[in-house]
Amino acid sequence: MADSVTARTPKRSLKTRAPKQSLGKRILQYKYFYLMVLPVLIWYALFSYAPMYGVTLAFKSFDYSKGILGSPWIGLENFQTLLTDPDFRRAFWNTVIISLMKLITHFPMPIILAIVLYEFSRTKMKRFFQTILTFPHFISWVVLSGIIINILSKDGIYNQIIMLFGGDPNSPLVDESAFRPVLYITHVWREIGWDSIIYLAALAGINPELFEAAEVDGANRFRRLLNIAWPGLKSTVAVLLILQVGQLLTQGSSFEQIFNLYSSPVYSVADTIDTYIYRTSFTIGGDFGYMTAVGVVKSIISLILLWAANSFAKKMGEEGLY
Amino acid sequence: MLRKKMMTLALCITLLASVLTACGGGNNDKGQTASNGEVSPDSSNSTDNPYKDPMTISLGFWDADAEIANIEKDPIAKQVLEKFNITLKPVNMTWDDYTQKIQMWAASGQLPDIFAIDAVGTQYQRKWVEQGVVKALPDLSKYPNLAKYFESPDIKGLGVDGKYYTVPRRMFPSVDWSALDRMVFYRWDLAQKAGITKEPETWEEFEAMLDAIVKSDPEGKHITGLTTTTTKMLGGFFWLYGNPVATSDGSGSDFKWIKEDGKFIPAVFSKKALPALQNMKNMYEKGLIDPDIALVKPAESYDNFVAGKAAALLSGGGFINLNSDMYEKRWKTAYPDKDIMESVKALKPLIGPDGERSHAIFKTYWSESYFSNKVDDKKMDRIMALYDYVLSPEGKDLLTYGIEGVDYKIENGQKVVIEKGSLNEKYPASRFLKNLVAYETSDSYNMDNPTIANEGIRKEAVDYIDWIQNNTKVPEYDIRLTYLSTPTKDKFTVLDHDDLLKIMLSKEPVESYWNNIVNDYKAKGLDKMIEEVNAKAKEQGIE
Repeated sequence: MADSVTARTPKRSLKTRAPKQSLGKRILQYKYFYLMVLPVLIWYALFSYAPMYGVTLAFKSFDYSKGILGSPWIGLENFQTLLTDPDFRRAFWNTVIISLMKLITHFPMPIILAIVLYEFSRTKMKRFFQTILTFPHFISWVVLSGIIINILSKDGIYNQIIMLFGGDPNSPLVDESAFRPVLYITHVWREIGWDSIIYLAALAGINPELFEAAEVDGANRFRRLLNIAWPGLKSTVAVLLILQVGQLLTQGSSFEQIFNLYSSPVYSVADTIDTYIYRTSFTIGGDFGYMTAVGVVKSIISLILLWAANSFAKKMGEEGLY
Repeated sequence: MLRKKMMTLALCITLLASVLTACGGGNNDKGQTASNGEVSPDSSNSTDNPYKDPMTISLGFWDADAEIANIEKDPIAKQVLEKFNITLKPVNMTWDDYTQKIQMWAASGQLPDIFAIDAVGTQYQRKWVEQGVVKALPDLSKYPNLAKYFESPDIKGLGVDGKYYTVPRRMFPSVDWSALDRMVFYRWDLAQKAGITKEPETWEEFEAMLDAIVKSDPEGKHITGLTTTTTKMLGGFFWLYGNPVATSDGSGSDFKWIKEDGKFIPAVFSKKALPALQNMKNMYEKGLIDPDIALVKPAESYDNFVAGKAAALLSGGGFINLNSDMYEKRWKTAYPDKDIMESVKALKPLIGPDGERSHAIFKTYWSESYFSNKVDDKKMDRIMALYDYVLSPEGKDLLTYGIEGVDYKIENGQKVVIEKGSLNEKYPASRFLKNLVAYETSDSYNMDNPTIANEGIRKEAVDYIDWIQNNTKVPEYDIRLTYLSTPTKDKFTVLDHDDLLKIMLSKEPVESYWNNIVNDYKAKGLDKMIEEVNAKAKEQGIE
């Protein structure tokens, strides 16, 4: 009984009891909570922290016979090579550009969609559109890329339309200037419905009486949106923005999407750090140590971006992640 | 009471174990315990039957699960493995993931006893050898067929400090045969409908034929010109316009060297490259090459060619694949009344700007067997014995033609097939067992051999390779330079098919784009590699 009471008011109880109790006693007192956390901690320890010893490879020259731990240390040699590698530089800038552009082109879309769908809330259309728009999220990039390639190929719908208007058929998938827009558009197409769900949930949490009252007071749609819906959404948007920035260099430059759609004519604009690591490690046979160094650089940049986004959110008056 | 009983039981077990150990101890001076826990036979037994002890050998091979499961249904494969008392344990890999899987297994010390990959010349293969990941082959004098196999120049050249670490899967007896590995087939029926009466012999005639087919579009299917099964093949055709030594297998590490202006350079960077690239670009711009060529997939390309949506198809595997992928899987269903060899022709090497008929030039093998360093000497001996048998005349005949008197008979020194059904269906694992050691594709180019089941295709295949051997000449290059190891060369790759594709699809003029590509290679150490190779060649007396 005492436990359930403290669970409801954890902050106050922790503040008052913490200085008096030792850590052991506190753990004993909240043993069931700690037990509930235990599987998660074990999972993280096993699958997220233990494999981190592999990061040391970035400072080693991998030797098959000695393994990761036994391979000889070579200091910062891999990082020095990285600075002079033109392919890495190309992959790095591609990753930054594609990720940022995806953030800019995609991030507002689900918010807009959620607001539009919210306006449909009294009709059956909302469920219909939501289902249609969420569906592509469940199709893998392998399948989707097959569909996209068919659409954009010589005989595909895209070129049929181009030819109908007297244009020359060409596939944007092998055109350096058109490949990135294809990435952005197909990304929005696949994820807009899925990403809008959380915003719809946030909108659903706003008291409908506020809208009704505003309506009675004569506020038009735009006013209701600006003064009621947006404040209700703002904190969710801030958290999701931080999360997306944190994953910018990995999920933003989506390995599966690019890997399944790109080909050598567009490597110069499409080869990201992930596809570069994959191709070099497995197709050409690059050094594992060097490739780990590339991965480490990517992680460091992601960390800086995450910190920057969090600070930005805090300055904007939101909670932030930490 | 219970404690007493337990003590008695433990004592009995200990006594029994001691007695058994003592009995076995008498052989200790003769027998050895292998590192894998299998006990080797004593010397008297090995004289009688060296393969007395059963042995399990793990095998990483493409679709190993399915291939090894077939052994149970194949009396010949069973017989061969029983002869050596071997049980194969499959370690599955697929065509999509084998390179990745093997590299992971190598890094984590989990390699199967035998594994298959095409890694000659790659950085990781060199490291496997240097760092003891793969086991060196024993002295081959004990295995005469295997020893003979290693006499071919490009296989012999694989030695590292006098040792071999791999058994390559040979396809052809000489480089001339690699003409079969990058072939262009074209729709002769559609060419005739488009008004073409003569089979093309020069690049101009080939282009004129494609142009006629594309423009007249005889079946109204928006037909395109030349397509391919995979973009890796591109170099195997377009370099033939005056720069044939530049043809490579697409791995990026098998590039060949020629002497130009007094020094050795990779043939790709020869002065002859530009005319070949310009010729390719002209073909693309004239609409004679599939605009979707960068996005091709093998199955779709075969479909398109058979369906009459592509006038010509660049593909690998020669007439064997023409028979299996085109005829068996597609043509005979689509056109049951049309003889494939009357409608589809194999393009003979075209006369290039230098007046020569050039064909693709590769190594005589594709992919290799490697052996994990964890394999002990005894197991290695058994594996070598199996390999030696598969390469022996007896083994080859058994795995290719089946059982004498049942599946074939000898008449006037020729093999005559008795079995009318498919040998692949009757013996579903024999081909796999043969391919495990060597493809020996050239054996199929024989009217006696049933591998190319369609007799019309087989006849064309035999005639084609005869024609190649009588009418073409392989230009000079030194394979030793391809195998040479220098610090920069070991890390250098030339993925020329990617470059060809970029040039083809670029809006820039060929020359400036090619210069950019060469500059990229220079930034990656091209000049340094050329210096190193020339210095080492001089050191080794290669002129």
